[in-house]
Amino acid sequence: MKLGRTLVPVVSFVVLAVVVAVVPSFVSEFRAQQLAYVGIYLVAIIGLNVLTGYTGQISLGHGAFMAVGGYTTAILMADHGVKDIWTIPLAGLVAGTAGFLFGIPALRLSGLYLALATFAIAVSMPAVIKRFEGFTGGGTGINLFGIPELTASLTPVEIFGRSMAFNDWLYYLSWSIALVGYVVAWLLLRGRSGRAFRAVRDSETAAQSSGVSLARYKTLAFGVSAAYAGVAGSLFAIATTYVNPDTFPVALSILLLVGVVVGGLGSLAGLVAGAVFIQFLPSWSQEVSKSPGAPSVVSGALLIALMFVLPMGVAGLVERLRLLTRRIYDRSGS
Amino acid sequence: MTRKLVLTLLSLAFAFALGATAALAATTRPSNDPGITPTSILLGGTAPLTGPQVAYASIARGAKAYFDYVNSRGGVNGRRIEYTTRDDASDPVRTVAETRRLVEQDGVFAVFNSFGTEQNLAVRDYLNQRKVPQLFAASGASALGSQASRYPYTIGLRPTYAAEGWVLGQYLARTQGAARVGVLYESDSFGQELLSGLRRGLQRSKVKIVSAQPYDEGSYDVQAQVARLRVSGANVFAVFSSPTHAAEALKYAHRLGWKPKLTIGNAAASSAVVLGDAAEKGANPLVKGMVSVAFLKDPTDPRWRKDDAMKRYRSVLKRFAPGANVSDVYLVYGMAAAWTAVEALRRAGSEPTRERLVQAAASLDLQGNPFLLPGISLKTGPGDRFPIDQMLLQRWQKNAWRSFGGLWAYRGG
Amino acid sequence: MADFLQQVVAGLASGSIYASLALALVLIHRATGVINFAQGEMATLSTYIAWTLTVNHGWGYWPAFVVTLAVSFLGGAAVHQTVIRPNEKGSVLRVVIVTIGLLIMINGLVTLIWGGEVRAVESPFPAGTTEIGGVAITTADIGTIAVVLAIVALLWGLFQYTKLGLAMRAAALNPAEARLVGVRVTWMLSLGWGLAAVLGAVAGMLAAPSVFLDPNLMAALLIYAFAAAVLGGIDSPIGAVVGGLTLGVGLNLIGTYVDFVGADLRLPVALLVILVVLLVKPTGIFGKQEVRRV
Repeated sequence: MKLGRTLVPVVSFVVLAVVVAVVPSFVSEFRAQQLAYVGIYLVAIIGLNVLTGYTGQISLGHGAFMAVGGYTTAILMADHGVKDIWTIPLAGLVAGTAGFLFGIPALRLSGLYLALATFAIAVSMPAVIKRFEGFTGGGTGINLFGIPELTASLTPVEIFGRSMAFNDWLYYLSWSIALVGYVVAWLLLRGRSGRAFRAVRDSETAAQSSGVSLARYKTLAFGVSAAYAGVAGSLFAIATTYVNPDTFPVALSILLLVGVVVGGLGSLAGLVAGAVFIQFLPSWSQEVSKSPGAPSVVSGALLIALMFVLPMGVAGLVERLRLLTRRIYDRSGS
Repeated sequence: MTRKLVLTLLSLAFAFALGATAALAATTRPSNDPGITPTSILLGGTAPLTGPQVAYASIARGAKAYFDYVNSRGGVNGRRIEYTTRDDASDPVRTVAETRRLVEQDGVFAVFNSFGTEQNLAVRDYLNQRKVPQLFAASGASALGSQASRYPYTIGLRPTYAAEGWVLGQYLARTQGAARVGVLYESDSFGQELLSGLRRGLQRSKVKIVSAQPYDEGSYDVQAQVARLRVSGANVFAVFSSPTHAAEALKYAHRLGWKPKLTIGNAAASSAVVLGDAAEKGANPLVKGMVSVAFLKDPTDPRWRKDDAMKRYRSVLKRFAPGANVSDVYLVYGMAAAWTAVEALRRAGSEPTRERLVQAAASLDLQGNPFLLPGISLKTGPGDRFPIDQMLLQRWQKNAWRSFGGLWAYRGG
Repeated sequence: MADFLQQVVAGLASGSIYASLALALVLIHRATGVINFAQGEMATLSTYIAWTLTVNHGWGYWPAFVVTLAVSFLGGAAVHQTVIRPNEKGSVLRVVIVTIGLLIMINGLVTLIWGGEVRAVESPFPAGTTEIGGVAITTADIGTIAVVLAIVALLWGLFQYTKLGLAMRAAALNPAEARLVGVRVTWMLSLGWGLAAVLGAVAGMLAAPSVFLDPNLMAALLIYAFAAAVLGGIDSPIGAVVGGLTLGVGLNLIGTYVDFVGADLRLPVALLVILVVLLVKPTGIFGKQEVRRV
């Protein structure tokens, strides 16, 4: 049993890593680019899962932390000549610090009050960005296309002596970060901190009385998840080659939460499904009808239907399938 | 001698054949660019079909209806124009993704009529590097047309916001003596550029801007701003906002008992219906005599009731966009853009390439776009990437816009 | 001084509209313990129904008003019965996502049916302005404030003095025991959703005459309503009204007198202020301290 607990995630991780590695050989460049965005969303969702899935705190403001990361990258690249890939950890650090600092006052808030406080951050972010125009480029934003700090805008990339199409480069960049990010989160959640997080989620009072420092773990969870969002925002800026206040709308924050819940708060397969869902939902829904407003009707209805069909998200479905196969296996065995 | 003659004849024949095949190749060689076949041309663009700017979705709808109409009459040089729009919800990240889809997956011949300033700026580098025409981008931001040598594939359509603000400024400078102007503007490139255009138009005149109040695009109301402008002592009220906030500002200014002279940006003024409503069925005296600039024929203007182009506008909508609101001026804008695209395609020759299309669009000198106000021409050149340079001032009288004075054209940066 | 008072008056008028939508949020939170993200869009839909009845079908204002409220009530209750109740079990996130889905869907639906253009909506109040010492006060401002105060009084009466109100409170506070004493709990909760939809419709019909109607009428208003509800304490109707009015006046004064903030940055600053209030009193001004169960 204990072995299975470690084995299943490790095996599924290895399978995913192999699939991720070979996918670009089978899909068009354009698909590779879409899948790169799936990888970016996955990074953000892995982080949000630490917060929402493990400590039970709802955030509707992680798009704002993505904005912090995205602008950190854009400003470092455009104004300070830092190469894009080196800005990624810095973006994570800056956003993580912001998240940690926000986590301190947020400690006192619980449940819906926290959800609304984070929502407030997401709502305010565009106006704040526009206001500090000298720093952020205001409403026009910062264009990164073709500047030397960007590894690639459209031209092939030379890595280890091999030439790689630009979209494949984005794909591998975002997915390798997502996979590393997953391993880090897994290690974090497996150990002492993971137990503490879960204790906080299940009962704050009980956690406190058994010696878990609420303050420490709640702010830690906030900081970690914001750092992931910052890295995702940084990748967002690199892949889009453009940042502006509208690139981090409130809808993005909401979409991230949707991704985590659809994924089912937990397993890797679920998180990947959540990331795929939020990347492709807008394009699928406009295939149905292109009358103004119609794509929203489709997306909204789909979202509601999904909560009916998969109340526990995709992870719940996976779990149910697992139980089902075990039952069939047990029956045929006996 | 005969050998020499034979050789000469042979070489002549050879040269002729070579020339002929070369000429033949030049005329019938199919273009290597994607999105074009002997029977069709594929254009694509992004539009806000959902999200906060959904009101502008009708621009694409009007254009689509006009292309369908052109197709029903044989298309352009025997080719049908297919026009596909993708929803970007006015989020530049999605504009980038959807534009890449149009170019890389759908293989459009040209990107046409994509909506929004930031949205068009976000894909400008990409399209120019790929040498895909970014044709008649639906934004009036000067930034879009700057650096024409760096972005030869990018061409706008409507007059710039700077030009519009300048015209209004010039009008105030010439007619309003020592007026004090209060400005309500949207705090993004659209509102800021109108404001700076207005400032330039007022230079060296006695008219002063006494207060300029910004509002954020997503604001619930602009009442606090209007109240401040009223106490600033302004006697001219310039409204550079979205149609919704403009309607609100006009109504609230009246409710406050403020009696300024009104000027209003084109984006909001075009919706004459809105202002008719805002006029509270004629009970808002502020609206009477309000001045704005225009370049499109307003579908609610009684002057165009018997106008051939506007008759066609209505019949095209009826046939190809049933259910569309005929009085929505953005449909007219879409048709004006589509008309211009059709003309540019005609001028790109019988075998258009992306290169030729851009050349044609960048050297336009056209009269008679039937959806523009009479006299307005379409002109582009090396330093001018916005085909519509001319505007008319118009005044709201008897529940309709009436243009007055001659054509205005903005010269200089 | 006139400037100051003018901003206060304008703030009270907008604040009472924030309060009316905040009341709807409070009602639903009391009834079912969730935040309805679709509250604003439901209100927009109601306002469009009223607009269609008056403009397209030529109804008088008051018949249209009554019918709209009735339709909204039924719609709200139906939303609860069909999509909220089946998703109430398990994580609260499920309901959150369902209401987000509703928000997206209704916004699209309104655009699909009525298009994106701006519409003018008739006001129930006569168009008049009184000027007192340079401060313009419109009849609509006074009417709006009066309507919102009347609603709070009615709600208070309902919950405090009627059997129905008592049953609704019992159903929300302790469903299991309420059921034991014969309260039809799910119907009481649906009633709460219906009433909330009615309040939203009122908010929409009060707001639209001055800020005009388009599909995104409520996108910004919902945020102000959230802020007002949280400021006042998410379970307190009185708190929602006090929160709404405070927010309305506060926003205007901050925008006018703090130069750095200006009119375009007043919302972020207001949200910051609310955050600070929450830090001092995590359950809002009028909220009750949650009892922690172990």
